Amino acid sequence: MRPARGTVAGAAVAIVVAAVIGLLPLALSDYHRSTGATVAVYFIAILALDIVTGYTGQISIGHGAFMAIGGYATAILTHDHGWNDLATLPVAAAAGFAAGVVVGLPALRFHGVYLALTTFAVALAVPQIAKNYSHFTGGTEGLSLPSHSGLWLYEVGWAIAGATFVLAWLLLRGRTGRAFRAVRDSEIAAASAGVTLAVYKTAAFGVSAAMAAVAGSLFVLVNSFVNPDVFGLQLSLYVLIGAVVGGLGSLWGVLAGAAFVQLLPVGLTTGHLASSQAVPVIFGAVVIGVMALLPLGAADVLRAVLRSASTRGKHSETPLGTEGR
Amino acid sequence: MTRRGRPSTSWIVPLGLGAVCALLAIGSLRSSLFAQQTVSGLANGGIYASLAVALVLIYRATEVINFAQGAIATFTTYVAWQLMQWGLSYWPAFACTLGIAFGGGFVLELVAIRPVERRGSVLSVVIAAIGLLILVEGSIGWIWGNEVKFMPTPFPAHIYTVGGVAFSRQDLSTIAISLVAVLVLWLFFQFTKVGLAMRAAAVRPDAARLVGVRVSWMLSLGWGLAAALGAVAGMMAAASPSVLLQPSMMDGILIYAFAAAVVGGLESAAGAVVAALLIGVLLNLVTTYVHFVGPALQLPVAFVIMLVVLLVKPSGLFGRTRVRRV
Amino acid sequence: MTRRMKTALATAGLVIAAAAVSAAFASAAGTPGVTARTIVIGGTFPLTGPAALYGAIPKAEAAYFSYVNAHGGVNGRQIVFKYYDDQYNPANTVPLTKKLVQQDHVFAVYGSLGTAPTLATRDYLNKLGVPQVLVATGDSYWGAQYRKYPWTIGFQPDYPGESRVYGKFVASKVPQAKIGVLMQDDAYGQNYYQGLLQGLGASKSKIVDVEKYDPTQTDVSAQVVKLKAAGANVFALFALPTQTITALVVATKIGWHPTTFVNNVSASPLFMALAQKSGANVDGDISATYLYDYINNPSTATAKLFKSIVDKYDPGANLLDANIEYAFANAWTVVYALKHAGKNPTRQSFMNALTHLDVVNPFLYPGIRMVTTPTERFPIDQQILEQYKNGAWHPFGHVFSKAR
Repeated sequence: MRPARGTVAGAAVAIVVAAVIGLLPLALSDYHRSTGATVAVYFIAILALDIVTGYTGQISIGHGAFMAIGGYATAILTHDHGWNDLATLPVAAAAGFAAGVVVGLPALRFHGVYLALTTFAVALAVPQIAKNYSHFTGGTEGLSLPSHSGLWLYEVGWAIAGATFVLAWLLLRGRTGRAFRAVRDSEIAAASAGVTLAVYKTAAFGVSAAMAAVAGSLFVLVNSFVNPDVFGLQLSLYVLIGAVVGGLGSLWGVLAGAAFVQLLPVGLTTGHLASSQAVPVIFGAVVIGVMALLPLGAADVLRAVLRSASTRGKHSETPLGTEGR
Repeated sequence: MTRRGRPSTSWIVPLGLGAVCALLAIGSLRSSLFAQQTVSGLANGGIYASLAVALVLIYRATEVINFAQGAIATFTTYVAWQLMQWGLSYWPAFACTLGIAFGGGFVLELVAIRPVERRGSVLSVVIAAIGLLILVEGSIGWIWGNEVKFMPTPFPAHIYTVGGVAFSRQDLSTIAISLVAVLVLWLFFQFTKVGLAMRAAAVRPDAARLVGVRVSWMLSLGWGLAAALGAVAGMMAAASPSVLLQPSMMDGILIYAFAAAVVGGLESAAGAVVAALLIGVLLNLVTTYVHFVGPALQLPVAFVIMLVVLLVKPSGLFGRTRVRRV
Repeated sequence: MTRRMKTALATAGLVIAAAAVSAAFASAAGTPGVTARTIVIGGTFPLTGPAALYGAIPKAEAAYFSYVNAHGGVNGRQIVFKYYDDQYNPANTVPLTKKLVQQDHVFAVYGSLGTAPTLATRDYLNKLGVPQVLVATGDSYWGAQYRKYPWTIGFQPDYPGESRVYGKFVASKVPQAKIGVLMQDDAYGQNYYQGLLQGLGASKSKIVDVEKYDPTQTDVSAQVVKLKAAGANVFALFALPTQTITALVVATKIGWHPTTFVNNVSASPLFMALAQKSGANVDGDISATYLYDYINNPSTATAKLFKSIVDKYDPGANLLDANIEYAFANAWTVVYALKHAGKNPTRQSFMNALTHLDVVNPFLYPGIRMVTTPTERFPIDQQILEQYKNGAWHPFGHVFSKAR
């Protein structure tokens, strides 16, 4: 069976994007490479959020908490126990997965806004817990980690981002992905079709949290420092903004969302277009504007562009096969 | 497949609340420290209550969690401050601010929310509200600067001492004003035509349209009223010595207001008020009496309370259990 | 490939090219940050967010630099001061500091505010040999850990030094003391508490209660009530401005009138006035200072100069805000060090100037001398006690030397 032209076009775009990302550091300074690494961090976190909110329909406003768990896992193992930083990533992912499952359990009972606010509460509570157990976490004075060059951070960051993307893509195009989407679209229909809601909802949270934890670990490596303020509310809100601006339910929008949420505020802060006081005003206005003009996010535009590359729309699935509505 | 609503357990909540009130009364009679903390906890709770009801208002009408509510409240408080700088005395400035807040909330809904609402999902509107939060808080610093300002208090520093406990007129007035504001709103919704139209628009927008209600104007009205309530919360907060007038003033209060709104059941204003008062008192008592809870854990404890309530009653204390039919 | 896709790819290509070109323009020759006409320094400060009340500091420092520039600059060079808003979040401080070093090519990172933000960038800056100087935090690290971090140096008296002075005062002047402490539950509060214990010496047994609070708790009335209940007649307030004001107001409200020590960070006349207006009885409260006493000496040359610079270059500033005074003293110091770094300053000569100070800073309290040596790296370690009366602080006693 020949693959649809849309899928080929999608793969071609993917390869081009990957190549651009891979070759970009050659043209960038060390500082810009670090910035690129931070975009990778947001990419992974937004991807994680997309899995649980975009694909499974479980709203989470608190992914900063999972990032914190991964970040502190990496920091404590590296700082206090001398682990190699990359070796801590699987541990961070495991810790994140466990945390995700724990948070996912109330998800079985809460719906919609109550779940969202519970995750919001978790996001606020985790930094406070980190402050309280300062013996382990370094408290507000935090923990310093060995630093890395911008190039190392960029390469590692995007390698992991790429791997996570592929993993997500594989997960979402298979049975699990279909189950997730079924849960999002109609829980009752899904349950009557044999999808065990409890298993899939918890699994979605677990996987999503594991990814977010890895993003958190990378975040700590990029800054070579961690303290509770690093994982404050703003981080969770930015990840959410990035996910929605990028477009929920689409893996392609994630890159746009990550770029938006990392580059725009930093660009405004360090650029000369606005006084420092005006920066949040402009950023807030842009977010509102984007929501008004592109309420389904950048992915909507991308989808339209790529749909024109498919055969005359007789397919029930959209060209890329990774999103479904 | 149907999931039936729970068998009637509507006696649990009033019983529980009654028990809590009894405990508080007994504790206050036995210890002046307890009484002191309870009263100041109620005052804090009054502030959370005004903001919580504003959140419920908007949620009921639009299913949107308005993250920007605290920032809007702060902005209107700065407006009040500015009016006083220009020579107005406290109560006239208060009244003007309520009007300005109402108008401002109305306009904000029109300009920032409606364009998003028309084309997007609830989540898009929530993101727009987050954008609004960033924008409004930023604009306060932009317009008035970030240094701390003094907000005059209308209540003379009069202290009533009853049995060794010092109640300030401030605390009592804050509780009174917050409750009055919520009561006025309730009366408005129950007994005026516009109030009825707003309730109709929130619950059944399509049916309401059929009888001639301009649903979109009702939404803007709702935002206006919520902003006015927020202004009350902001001004009461700024009058208290533990809150300084600065752009991030309502950040902490907003969090407790959210918790209160959720615990009360997001669709019940009365629930939000009760929950807010409860949270205010419990937080003070926990700080005073529970020692293994370090200060940093006060916020997580508030959320544990919220979680416990939700696990027992997933739609909050006074929310209606959802019945889902296929 | 459709035309749309071609356009998209072309746009992407252009963006990358633009980034590359702009990156190529980032070049530096000689000592970074120094040209024939200019010298560039930069720092990170919380201009927005919960710590934004310190945002007045860089503005005032910039005002002082404008004044210096208008009078010939430093050794003929104009000072260019770049500062960015990190919102007190180390996750912002790190990339912004990297930007200052790699893109703005600053000669030195100057005056950065906050313990955690400074700690977050300390390794990076020291590794690259970029001076991290006159940081705006009272932690002891900057002076104590110079062997490992030779490029970092602080400015203000450290917190333990300050509270040690309070401890000594109580030990010698308040024999019947019963001491209650309200402290922030982190390193900031701990630093003050440890200093107090050291200063009290044997009298530390007179501490009757220690209450703690978390920075997210603005309402500390519960803690204050407990301190009164413990019978304290001396109140050591080691709290940030918001909680300090609350504590002072609540104390008065519940009829508690201890001898109160207010830590320097929160003792700005601005905050004392706020507390007073909110009903606190603050007359008699004690603090410590090292800054020039403008309020009680308004007609001196220093005071007039201060006011004239503020009026001209920072007109919105609130003169009750001690942050402005702090900023001037700090800015004066960096200008002095730049001058003494020589006609062709290098980062090393700059650090040498800072570690060989022996000078009177006109914006500090008369009698205080800034002295540093390569092994004694606390530029200011003298303070004087002051008491609040009739709306202003009044220094009394003599300057405590070598508070260490």
